[in-house]
Amino acid sequence: MLVLLFILFGGLAIGCAINVVAQRNPLYCAISLIGVFMSLACLYLMLAAPFIAAVQIVVYAGAIMVLVVFVIMLLNVEQEERRHFKMGILVPAGVVLAALLIAEVAFFISTVNPNPVLQQTDIGLTSSIGSNLFTSYLLPFEITSILLLMAIVGAMTLARRTGVSEQARVVPGAQVLAVSDVDLNASHDHQRLIETQTTTEAARLLEISGPRSNEERE
Amino acid sequence: MEPQLSWYLALSGLLFTIGVIGVVIKRNVIAMFMCIELMLNAVNLTFVAFASFFQDVTGQLFVFIVMTVAAAEAAVGLGIIIAIFRNRESLDVDDASILKL
Repeated sequence: MLVLLFILFGGLAIGCAINVVAQRNPLYCAISLIGVFMSLACLYLMLAAPFIAAVQIVVYAGAIMVLVVFVIMLLNVEQEERRHFKMGILVPAGVVLAALLIAEVAFFISTVNPNPVLQQTDIGLTSSIGSNLFTSYLLPFEITSILLLMAIVGAMTLARRTGVSEQARVVPGAQVLAVSDVDLNASHDHQRLIETQTTTEAARLLEISGPRSNEERE
Repeated sequence: MEPQLSWYLALSGLLFTIGVIGVVIKRNVIAMFMCIELMLNAVNLTFVAFASFFQDVTGQLFVFIVMTVAAAEAAVGLGIIIAIFRNRESLDVDDASILKL
């Protein structure tokens, strides 16, 4: 029974992972990645780790993927164009090296380690993880919290829009103003509400120079 | 027959390899970011498998910390992606190959 579940969820994880790589539309990549996270959560449940499984769904499939999908939608990402690689000798070399690696791994897995048996335990329960996290592993926990604080500050610094007055409102659909469109020294004291469809129009209404063309930028 | 530890390790190795292939062949920054998440998850599976089979809670605590790092990485990484898009109006990594903005 457990073997069947392992094959089901393992196969689902691998299939979704291959789809992540194969898709050219980033949104489909993201949805396949959510499939990978879900099947991994089921595998964690089979490994007697219910807390990690719950956190996997809440943090990964919930928070992180929502952020990724939000950015994909915000930036209006286009499909990747098909690329042509010149490989030649690389293909047979890659096949040989991959076969070598797989043989090596199979050899070690089959010979070196006598397989331990999965027993009934309580190590995956929330109480066990919590008591360990706040006693023996308190220092890593605190360091992680500092890391999160740094991430908050870093994300705000990176994503902040400079040079445009706070009163200037760009309506969604304009997406993100390019830095080249924004005068860093501009100050707009007067309050105006602007409703536009495109970035160019927003820049014109804000009396800042329009977006440069690609030739100018080069 | 129960699933063995080696099965989980093999699955994890496969997922990690697919993630590496994705990072190498993808040219879209967001797609590369998602492949990195895939690799992190493959390593998490190894941690949980070892923790369960060897009756040690340390592996699961490390998975918890890896998830936190992944969340921080997502926030900062997507901030960088938005900054790159604002400067170059493109998400292709080849367009951002020089450090000068």
